[in-house]
Amino acid sequence: MSIIVKIDNYSFMCADDSMSLLEAIEDQGIDVEYQCRQGFCGLCRLKLVEGKVTYFDEPIAFIPENYILPCCCKTKEDIVIEGTVPKEKTSV
Amino acid sequence: MNYTTFNQNQFDATKEPMFFGNYVNVSRYDVQKHPIFEKLIEKQLSFFCRPEEVDVTQDRKDFLSLSEHERHIFLSNLQYQTLLDSVQGRSPNIAFLPVVSLPELETWIETWAFSETIHSRSYTHIIRNILPESSEVFDGIVDTDAILDRATDITKHYDQLIMMTQLFQTQGEGTFTVNGQSTEVTLRTLKRILYLTMVSVNVLEALRFYISFACSFAFAERAKMEGNAKIIKLIARDEALHLTGTQHILNLMASGNDDPEMEVVARECHEEARHIFLDAVEQEKAWADYLFKDGSMIGLNKEILCQYIEYIAAQRMDALQFSHSFSQKQNPLPWMNAWLNSDNVQVAPQEVEVSSYLVGQVDSELKSNEFENFTL
Repeated sequence: MSIIVKIDNYSFMCADDSMSLLEAIEDQGIDVEYQCRQGFCGLCRLKLVEGKVTYFDEPIAFIPENYILPCCCKTKEDIVIEGTVPKEKTSV
Repeated sequence: MNYTTFNQNQFDATKEPMFFGNYVNVSRYDVQKHPIFEKLIEKQLSFFCRPEEVDVTQDRKDFLSLSEHERHIFLSNLQYQTLLDSVQGRSPNIAFLPVVSLPELETWIETWAFSETIHSRSYTHIIRNILPESSEVFDGIVDTDAILDRATDITKHYDQLIMMTQLFQTQGEGTFTVNGQSTEVTLRTLKRILYLTMVSVNVLEALRFYISFACSFAFAERAKMEGNAKIIKLIARDEALHLTGTQHILNLMASGNDDPEMEVVARECHEEARHIFLDAVEQEKAWADYLFKDGSMIGLNKEILCQYIEYIAAQRMDALQFSHSFSQKQNPLPWMNAWLNSDNVQVAPQEVEVSSYLVGQVDSELKSNEFENFTL
């Protein structure tokens, strides 16, 4: 089953289940801010517009409502997140 | 109500607010109102390390090779970091412990402040290793106007909270004249100053510290002062946790889920709190001016640092849902992420050698005459 992640009009398929959502996004060449990558600094937070994510590590950072910490979650369904994708990238 | 080190009344600590409820009695963690604070404690304890584990001998040679203005940048930055941790090593204990009401939060405050004392010891370790005479740097802290200007803003909320708590706990509510200044002490005014102090601590740890980290890592980006950067990396990991702590406290206060009156206070103080951030941004920019007064360094100058100040301020203000007009969306110092990443922090003594250690270990230039004495 392939899961589609849509970020700022750019969609990609999230195939590798071993990666965190942050790694999956970075794998597409999209930069997301990060510091700890362990769920305690909160820097990589992204706004979740549609869908649900599953945390494999319980985050310690404060996460405002409707936001997610991609460094410690995966997605099991199609999701839409807010973010900035470089203009040269086109949807697959 | 006088402070007591062991409150003998029977009450349910899980029904207390974070601050200004009953004084804590039994330090118990089996039942918790806000379990997040215990998670923070456990994380902080797992970060324990000693600065002496990091070898800074190469830094001494590096320091000698720096130009005069680069030394000014390096030492001033270190002086500023020393000031910040001097404040943070004591102030959360003195300001927050007398008014805290939850055992898990009380212990988090103590754990938090303790880790700051390790940072202070780290700066002494660094300075002792790179300079033959360290007192010049430490004595210079209270002689430098550019540092003192910021020290006032960093400590004024703490000092006011401490003074008002002392009055409240010995005299009760009322209007008092201290040093010629009239101060109204009520539970409400105390909650206001507590909220503002917490915001100013968040500004200190989430904004001011990060500006100083940028300067430390800018040297290491050029393979200079790498031992220092290794230590700062450990300190940055702690600070990321501390700023999460104050973000949780501030958001709990603003939500009203902890203490309904605090929600009103947070709303009343919103503009003032926002201005603590905005004032700090201006101060940090003035500091950038002072740092680079004699010249820039490769990879970092006043303009880039000022962009970074706005960028990081926007991040932190967003986290607290404070509005701002900073338009810097892209990180002007993209290499900061790699330095701040705690994933690859290593503290085992055999693994903390500076990264440049491996350079030159493999001799890849071979000429045929090197096999001359080689026989089978």
